[in-house]
Amino acid sequence: MWSRVVEIMLGCWLLISPFIFQHESGQVALWANDLGCGTAVILFALFSYWHPTRHAHVATMAVAVWLIGFAYWHGFGSAPPASQNHVILGMLLGMFAVIPNEATRPAPAAWEESISEDSNARQA
Amino acid sequence: MRGAFARWYEVATMAHDPNQPRTADAGPLDVAPRPWDYNPSSWPQRIPICILAMIAFFIAAYMGLYQWRLVSTAWDPIFGKQTEAVLDSGVSERMRHWFLVPDAIFGAVAYLGDAIFGLAGSTRRWQYRPWLVLIFGIDVIPLGIVSAVLVVLQGAVVGSWCFLCLVTAVISLILVYMAFDEVWSCLLYLKQVWQETRDKKLLWKAFCGLRTPEADRIADSFIKPPAE
Repeated sequence: MWSRVVEIMLGCWLLISPFIFQHESGQVALWANDLGCGTAVILFALFSYWHPTRHAHVATMAVAVWLIGFAYWHGFGSAPPASQNHVILGMLLGMFAVIPNEATRPAPAAWEESISEDSNARQA
Repeated sequence: MRGAFARWYEVATMAHDPNQPRTADAGPLDVAPRPWDYNPSSWPQRIPICILAMIAFFIAAYMGLYQWRLVSTAWDPIFGKQTEAVLDSGVSERMRHWFLVPDAIFGAVAYLGDAIFGLAGSTRRWQYRPWLVLIFGIDVIPLGIVSAVLVVLQGAVVGSWCFLCLVTAVISLILVYMAFDEVWSCLLYLKQVWQETRDKKLLWKAFCGLRTPEADRIADSFIKPPAE
């Protein structure tokens, strides 16, 4: 779950980004983007700890793609620091979101599922 | 052979037994896949890759900090001011225009990725998570070779040489050499699954790390018992 912990930290960074990069109060899109993406990343990582929603971290990949797209939409050409922040966060979140929850466990959870499917099929 | 099956059974039962320790890495996971007589997914094989990648990450991040002017000069013991000429060159500016971030920062994130993907997965991930090994391989091998070639090209095009860039290029090539064995075993395993079954669905399942009796059998024939 180390990857989920890092995602939560990156989510916190996104939440404080408007203050670090000093978005002006009129820049609603920037504020909404940073606060929205940060909240989403933290929620997806937290939900990954609950078994029924353990794959929630995969949705963080969509946030990552969104962040990079938003950076190009907002900052292409001039590349203000806030947009550079979005590109870097997008790349980092994309890499971490790929890592499975129990990555270092001997076998992936999918193996357990296929085993239980086998035994269900045998019982039926 | 009998021993390998017994060990396999241990792994298979451990995987779905919630009472087993979750980080059990030793023993049956530590097997040598073809064509090696050691386990390329073992920690002693992977940790040095991660450490070296992190060294390259810090060097690249330092150059990125110069490109951001968060540090005012770039250190170079051999070529002097040439490093700054390379980092501020037109080629670098053009890459910055397209990537939005300085090219050294882009490289730093890629090296960090090498370390992240190097750390994830069990010591038998060549079989349990081929997709992860292949993502790791793509990050290390083609990207590493391309970046090393780009560094040399930049030196030739710009006409200046950058000591730290050359260090990271050498690290990239060492990483390619160090990571190659695991990726190769993984590809051989997937190739074997394809050749023996000719079944796209099975190959896909093996790639995703989903368990099938056919792939289990092929993996069993694919390993040597660990060296005692």
